[in-house]
Amino acid sequence: MLRVSDLAKQYRRASRPLFSALSFAVASGEIVALVGESGVGKSTLLNCIAGLETADRGAIAIGPQALDIVALDETARAALRARSIGFVFQAFHVLPTLTVAQNIGVPLLLCGVPASEHTPRTQALLERVGLADFGPRWPASLSGGELQRVAIARALVHRPALVLADEPTGNLDPRTADEVLALLLERVREQQTSALVVTHSQHVAQSCDRILTLTPDGLSGCGRAGE
Amino acid sequence: MITMKGPQAGRMRALSQLSWWLIRAQFKTRRAATLLSMLAIALGVALGYAIHLINDAALSDFSRAMKSVQGDPDAVIAARDSAGSVPLATLNAIARDPAVLLVAAVIETRVRIDNAPTPVRLIGIDVFSAAAVMPDLLPRQDEQAAAPNILDGGVYASPALLAQLAQGAKGSQGKEGKDSGTRAGGTLKLLRGEQQWLATLAGDLPAARPDDLLLVADIAWVQARFGPADAVSEGRVRLAPDTDLASWRQAWAQRLPAGLLIRAADDDSARVSNLSRAYRVNLNVLALVALLTGTFLVFATQLTAVAQRSTQFALLGVLGLSPRMRLMQVLLEGVAIGVPGALLGLALGYALAVAFTQLLGGDLGGGYFAGSAPLIVPAPAPALLFLAFGCLASLAGASYPAYLNRMQPLAQALKTGFAQRPPADAAPTAQPRQSGQSGRSGQSWLARLPPRMPKLPLLLALAAFALTQLPPLFELPLAGYASIALVLVVGIASAPLLTQLLFGWLSAQPLPAPQRIALQNVAQAPLMAQVAASGLIVSFALTASMVIMVSSFRVAVDQWLDHVLPAPLYLRSKATPLPQDLLNALTQPDAPFAKVERMANAALTIDPQRPQVALLIREIEPRDPAARLPLTGPLLTPPAALPAVWISEPMAEIYRLAPAQTLRLPLLGREVPVFIGGVWRDYGRQFGAVVISRQDYQQLGGDFQPTDLALWPLPGQEAQASAWLAPWADRYGLEVADSATIRRLSLSIFDKSFAVTYALEAAAMLIGLFGLAVTLAASVWLRARELATLGALGFDRCMLSHAVMLEGALIAAVGLLIGLACGVAIGAILTHVVNPQAFHWRMALAIPWTAVCAGAAITLAAAVLASRYAARQATRLPVAQVLANAQ
Repeated sequence: MLRVSDLAKQYRRASRPLFSALSFAVASGEIVALVGESGVGKSTLLNCIAGLETADRGAIAIGPQALDIVALDETARAALRARSIGFVFQAFHVLPTLTVAQNIGVPLLLCGVPASEHTPRTQALLERVGLADFGPRWPASLSGGELQRVAIARALVHRPALVLADEPTGNLDPRTADEVLALLLERVREQQTSALVVTHSQHVAQSCDRILTLTPDGLSGCGRAGE
Repeated sequence: MITMKGPQAGRMRALSQLSWWLIRAQFKTRRAATLLSMLAIALGVALGYAIHLINDAALSDFSRAMKSVQGDPDAVIAARDSAGSVPLATLNAIARDPAVLLVAAVIETRVRIDNAPTPVRLIGIDVFSAAAVMPDLLPRQDEQAAAPNILDGGVYASPALLAQLAQGAKGSQGKEGKDSGTRAGGTLKLLRGEQQWLATLAGDLPAARPDDLLLVADIAWVQARFGPADAVSEGRVRLAPDTDLASWRQAWAQRLPAGLLIRAADDDSARVSNLSRAYRVNLNVLALVALLTGTFLVFATQLTAVAQRSTQFALLGVLGLSPRMRLMQVLLEGVAIGVPGALLGLALGYALAVAFTQLLGGDLGGGYFAGSAPLIVPAPAPALLFLAFGCLASLAGASYPAYLNRMQPLAQALKTGFAQRPPADAAPTAQPRQSGQSGRSGQSWLARLPPRMPKLPLLLALAAFALTQLPPLFELPLAGYASIALVLVVGIASAPLLTQLLFGWLSAQPLPAPQRIALQNVAQAPLMAQVAASGLIVSFALTASMVIMVSSFRVAVDQWLDHVLPAPLYLRSKATPLPQDLLNALTQPDAPFAKVERMANAALTIDPQRPQVALLIREIEPRDPAARLPLTGPLLTPPAALPAVWISEPMAEIYRLAPAQTLRLPLLGREVPVFIGGVWRDYGRQFGAVVISRQDYQQLGGDFQPTDLALWPLPGQEAQASAWLAPWADRYGLEVADSATIRRLSLSIFDKSFAVTYALEAAAMLIGLFGLAVTLAASVWLRARELATLGALGFDRCMLSHAVMLEGALIAAVGLLIGLACGVAIGAILTHVVNPQAFHWRMALAIPWTAVCAGAAITLAAAVLASRYAARQATRLPVAQVLANAQ
């Protein structure tokens, strides 16, 4: 789960806050879309939630232990990310020098999962994302859609409490985008993980459980998707 | 703080695995750069370790050689003057001291054997006392031969001498058909000056070292033939077991006559070590320079590796790799380069040590232990130390890139990677600035590095100058070395400033597109230019400085040889006095010489822990010594009561002496007050020399036995003069050489002694060029999108290639320009600070501009060629793919 309370952020030279007093929550197993115009602060909000940028004020509680990432130091934030957050990016971001299986296994290494569990969990995820035989292959030989499937497997392999997805289908053609989106939502729901999906796509947003719209005035339209 | 789940050890294992994956990937993808970084570390370690091994072996060998002849006494009583002796009365008084167990008297002189070319040491011993103190000199009687034993006048030869005699006998049998007596029972003709003695070879010296040319006989037999009467050369003392050496020595030092001294074992070690200390330190500093060049290469490799993988590291950071682990990863990669590099360096160092000792001897051409090729024996502790040096050098090179990796703002790096516009173009605009974790600006993390303040290079330059004014520390030019390091730092620190100044202005001028692109890239990425140029700055500065120093030295030696070799011909007798009949013949009217000057040499011990000072007794005009000596300052007239001496620059500096001072010289068995009439330049004797006129020496009671002659043939009779000397040289084993040959030989020895430095210079230049190529290639990789965009906009491969090569040439030009300035500064420091402080050699700075500028031009051409590697990469970029990936 994710609970954001009274979050505020203003860049030093900006004349007004990017956002202030943002509060919302994402329940366990819930998938929330975050939409809004370019430059409104969606990515910054996502970075604050991931602990990649510091908020000026507020609290961000993540996971069943509701640890406030804002209050943690840099090392503890990295440890919390390793254990509790999965990431899917628009640009895929897989390590080109590791095989597909090794890429998926990186979060297991970072959060200290015993080595005996690595291969079964990696292989299981590869099968769930439709890449059962892709383990030994190098990322350079994969298509965009396949790379994003690898990224989804990597985001879920350590069973995080929260998945943060930034335009997960932004670099894919419509048919592949549909497939990848369906896969992402299915796997997230399957694992009962919370997810916050930043998107410009109405189609993606509509596929989520709920839509949050970020505007210069704050969050709005906090209703269920399709409402 | 979050507590980690799972056992800590398991997590560490998992992180180690991830680390190993990344190291392996790094080595695979950057094979050439990694391998060359390893080789650079290996080279630094190899040179340092080889120098250590060679010096260690040479010093041990030298000490063993000394011990073999001197034995292992607790103390040695000797004359300070090599021509002096220890009176038997003094030795008897010491022997009566209850603290003294035994005194072994020794008489040592040099003789020639018949027609053998090399003089040998003839040592007279008392066989009974020698057994206790000098067991290596004990003779073995050949029972098969009918020869007298040692007490009846038998002489004993070392194995090396026997071998030499046997070799000579083969030759003379061939020529004369007779054996000159090389087996026990045979007769040897011993020659000293014009005197001859016959001796019977009675056996050998089984414990003598393999390369010692020694003859041993009974002390009374030697004394009867060679003197001195009622005196010996040395007394070697064994003290009673519970005697305190220091207090015994102090007590006797006060009672001994002024011309005698007491030497202990530690004096011998210190003297042997002092003999080559400065040369050794100098070579070690050169090895350190090689290691630092390796450090630089690791720095360049790791910095570009970090830059290239900034997105990957950012991803790992986002996924949960802690900042500390990101720092550790780059450091581990540095260690992964350093460990195999250092191990390779140890193996290479051993091989180099073995090869160098065979080629150049144990002194690497320094001339301190000439003739010895010592056995190289590696020991574990120094090997581990050099292994640690290699690893530390590599770690140091990786530390700044590791720090940059640790400070990388993750979100920014993940999105835009490394290749961002530098500060000038990315200056804050109306756009909101994105703040990273470090809370700094939103520009590229590399571009945000603090710009070098112009003040900093200036302050460092002032500090470097201040260091050159400091005196030597521990008799070594440590402050001079520190100032050299600072000069290099100043050079590197001023590179961005110079780059921006020069190319910032040029890039604004109307130029064709490729030139403009190249200029803009160099001007706008000063850090990359700095990294690429710094290798060339360091390597060219060091090379130019060595060229300048060696050239200054060579010019100075050349001029010095002009002054010290005034005669057309020289003759010398290799340490034994010249035969009187030759000296008499030279005074006859039929001798084809207009003028003959005689010289004698001796050695004085001023300080038992330092090498001896040469005493040169010359037929010199006391009122005009400048005609023969290259004086460096004013010539002073001595007071009537005092004889004048002229000391060499090294002597003045080592013993802190100055003209007009009165020096108490340990001469002729007493301390003689002499007036220092001037200081003269001497590149031949590093540990000091003092010249006294023959008249003064003889007036003081000295026995002038010339060993060297300077000869001026009559005009037009040069050939006859050489022909006149030839039979004398043949008969007495004398060396005759004309001044041109001596000059040629001296300069050839000079060049040989700098042989090691030439190899280092070449290695440094290669490393510098490689650093440029690697950094340019990385820069091309980082600007792949930009270059692909240019390709899409119409730049053809040729234009891209030209732009990249021009970029390489511009960076190299900056590097060479700064390198040249630093090289001149370092050359001046080496010439005016390091050489005088380390070796007491002073000389004027002579910059060989033609050689230096030609070197710069060749390096620039090589840099352009090296840039082709990067240019090829730029033109191989698949434009469409790069642009597609960039979307």
